[in-house]
Amino acid sequence: MRKLTTLAAMIAAVAALGAATSTASTGRSSGTLKGAGSSFVAPLVAQWQANYKSSDIQYNPIGSGGGIAAITNRTVDFGASDAPLSSDQFKACKGCVQIPWALSATAIPYNIPGLNGRLHLNAGVLADIYLGKITNWNSGRIKALNRGLSLPDLKITPVYRSDNSGTSYNFTDYLANASAAWKSKVGVGVNANWPSGIGAPKSNGVAAAVGQTKGAVGYVDVAYTLKNHLSFAAIQNKSGKWALPGLRGIKSAAALITKVPASGELSIVNPPKAAKYKNAYPISTFTYVILPTKTSSATELRHFVFWALTNGQQYGPRLLFVPIPKVVLSYSEKTLNKVKS
Amino acid sequence: MSSIATPQAAARAAELRRRGRFRPGDAVLHGLTLAAALAAVALLGLIAWKVTDQARPAIHDFGLGFLTTKTWDPGTRQIFGAAAFLFGTAVTSLGALLIAGPLSIAIALFLTELAPRWLRGPIGALVEMLAAVPSVVVGLWGILVMGPFVADHFEPFLKRTLGFIPLFRGDPSIFGLLPAILVLTIMITPIVSSVSRELFLGVPRDLKEGALALGTTRWEMIRGVVFPYARSGIAAALILGLGRAVGEAIAVTQVIGGNVAIHWSLFQPGDTLASRIASQYQGASSAKQVSAIAYLAVILLCFSLVANIGAQVIVRRFAGRHPVAR
Amino acid sequence: MTLKTPFRRRLVNLAMQAVAVVAAFAAVAVLAVMVISVAKRGAGAINLDFFTKLPHPFAFTPVPTGLANAFVGTAVIVGVATLMALPIGVLTAIYLNEFAPRRVAFLIALALDVLNGVPAIVVGIFVFALVVVGHGQSGLAGSFALAILMIPLIARATQETLALVPESTREASLALGVSRWRTTLSIVLPQTIGGIVTGTTLAVARVAGETAPLLFTSSLVGDQLHADPRQALASVPLKIFEYSESPDPADHRQAWAAALVLIAFILLASTVARLLAARSRRKLGITR
Repeated sequence: MRKLTTLAAMIAAVAALGAATSTASTGRSSGTLKGAGSSFVAPLVAQWQANYKSSDIQYNPIGSGGGIAAITNRTVDFGASDAPLSSDQFKACKGCVQIPWALSATAIPYNIPGLNGRLHLNAGVLADIYLGKITNWNSGRIKALNRGLSLPDLKITPVYRSDNSGTSYNFTDYLANASAAWKSKVGVGVNANWPSGIGAPKSNGVAAAVGQTKGAVGYVDVAYTLKNHLSFAAIQNKSGKWALPGLRGIKSAAALITKVPASGELSIVNPPKAAKYKNAYPISTFTYVILPTKTSSATELRHFVFWALTNGQQYGPRLLFVPIPKVVLSYSEKTLNKVKS
Repeated sequence: MSSIATPQAAARAAELRRRGRFRPGDAVLHGLTLAAALAAVALLGLIAWKVTDQARPAIHDFGLGFLTTKTWDPGTRQIFGAAAFLFGTAVTSLGALLIAGPLSIAIALFLTELAPRWLRGPIGALVEMLAAVPSVVVGLWGILVMGPFVADHFEPFLKRTLGFIPLFRGDPSIFGLLPAILVLTIMITPIVSSVSRELFLGVPRDLKEGALALGTTRWEMIRGVVFPYARSGIAAALILGLGRAVGEAIAVTQVIGGNVAIHWSLFQPGDTLASRIASQYQGASSAKQVSAIAYLAVILLCFSLVANIGAQVIVRRFAGRHPVAR
Repeated sequence: MTLKTPFRRRLVNLAMQAVAVVAAFAAVAVLAVMVISVAKRGAGAINLDFFTKLPHPFAFTPVPTGLANAFVGTAVIVGVATLMALPIGVLTAIYLNEFAPRRVAFLIALALDVLNGVPAIVVGIFVFALVVVGHGQSGLAGSFALAILMIPLIARATQETLALVPESTREASLALGVSRWRTTLSIVLPQTIGGIVTGTTLAVARVAGETAPLLFTSSLVGDQLHADPRQALASVPLKIFEYSESPDPADHRQAWAAALVLIAFILLASTVARLLAARSRRKLGITR
């Protein structure tokens, strides 16, 4: 008799505890769309939050990796990532589409106190800085690109994203494209086995780390460098010109896209040498919203994303987001129709 | 039975009668409280099981080699290893214990043996207040106040004076192993000192006074009577402090700089088990990475279980009296 | 004639005492520096807006911001956690002290102490994997994680107070024919209310500042104000964490202010708990 009551009590206790928490967790408030992911696109999404009136948009910039994880686990209604989904991630997401919805660039901010001019860098030097091969700002190779600047004897601290980041994907994509050493040693990805430097979480963290560390250099969405008054470098593109992450440079890079593949994956780093791309900023990137094809909030989501693709783009230029080109827009709208309830 | 029914006899009789009766209320309370106790214990098992379950793919893929692999590549190669974080955890926790241990014991001594009575209350309360500062606030202070101070003044000072030791070579930085050690020291001092304080208060007065009567100085009395008596308790307190340091994720991740590397210099950034979990778990976008991070959690859990059980066993076995309250 | 202790021994004695004094004051000094830092930087940002307005990240024009949603969120999460942990903690303690055979009591007490030492980040992963995956984050999941941290503290405090109630009280009650359960609930338990309240207050003080358990369970929050625990709720420690890693000095000011309020609350709760503990000890007749 005693054993029976003990057993029954045990089962009841654990069952009650489990039931209480799992059933109570479900529940959505209608009219709110929850999203998470890329901190790269967060400044633009903040504008959309303020100006889109049909639903409440809630967005958490936890990084592209976090966005992919969140939408895969369906803990949010939409995920945002600057890194395209791999085939494994598409499989794990169980019926998701990725839709390019914004276009901007990754700036290279730096912290060199008292520098008399803008820093100029190219892919080779950047790769070697992040590989740990160039360790001081007054190195010969940096000086060669910056005649006219008095570079100090200051150690370089490369800052990278410690979390899984679409901006890292964009940056490593660029470095791998331009430097064979980087491609073989580190590769492309939302994260990497970074050979040297300090890791900071999210775009905010990188901006903070660069701002607080003398001699630091980092990579972050250009909107963050503007907001935090960080100096960013001019990067040499394949045509030999010095490009800045402004509207002109980004637009020129985006001209690379004439057709959108079925997966929606777009890469516009390091446009080749041609008159069309002579002003292209070589570290530009599209960024995606990831939606499930089957969701109870399909109507609200479609309405919001459609607005973001069309009306929402007008809030971009102030933050150095270029409105997406027509060929991408038509792909995005078509893919959006796949989202159903 | 006596004809004069005394109240005691009546009560005893009633008790004897009642013994045989089934009291539903008693059974209900017994069952309810047993259920609660079992639930609490089951939680422990459930935590261990669930985390291990999440780590299973990584344990299967990497096995024990995980503990010696230095690489942590969530990129294209998807190779994971805990060696760099085991190193970081060991360096930061042991470093913090090395500073906080003697410091906390000294504080406990001060509060129990050396301070004038009127000072003990206030100073004791102030040390307890240190425990009231949550880890995220220590981390906030660490990033914005202590970090720059360490980078601009403390680390250059150490470099100048002790730079011949590899630990203090390298370039000063606001993020690194040394700020993490300092932050952990602040976090574990309250625990170790409050446990030590309880221990020292429990040393029998006559033993202490006997020693003093024999002509020892106060310090000799402490060294010869208090320390030996409280020896096992101090060991337990240090182990508890170590367990706390190893498990601290938030304050460490704010100041340590998230770098995967094993190197001598304390000025360089690094990472610990708990800190890596905090910084990467939410954003892990491949199943392999999620299970690798869960594997880190399993290692962390194993360590904290061993440390906790070890400390408790020491206290209960060798202290021989009511377990020390934390 | 008295012998004077040799000089060397007196010197060592003095040196060691000096070390102890320095250590104690060093600890107090560090605490003072930290608290003064927080107070200095935070006090300026504390105003009515801070408690009533909501965050506005990336706003182009300066807008008064505050952390109203975080204060409400923490209050709800900690409150619900207390409701979850209190019954389990108290009932477990009753079982330990009143019903359990010696061996079983030892094991359960050991398990509770070990549960207390599980790192908060691991508890966060556990609750995430158990509750959040597939269902979404919620204040309830966060509360569950905090409750796991509170249960050992409440159980131990209750158990210690129960042990202080003299056995003769129970025996007298039983001898008078009162049933076991009545004795426990109506006679023994009321005497321990002080200890339970103390333990619960200390547990609340401990978890109010916890960040790691909420990191994966209640972190995807918006900037709107709501108190529904079925949705993810903002919390003060998480906001401090987020702002501490931000480059914006305005965010830092808010973080300092939130830290000041949090420390003040925890200190207040701890002090109240200690005063209650001293009072209940006096009532039960304990001298130490």
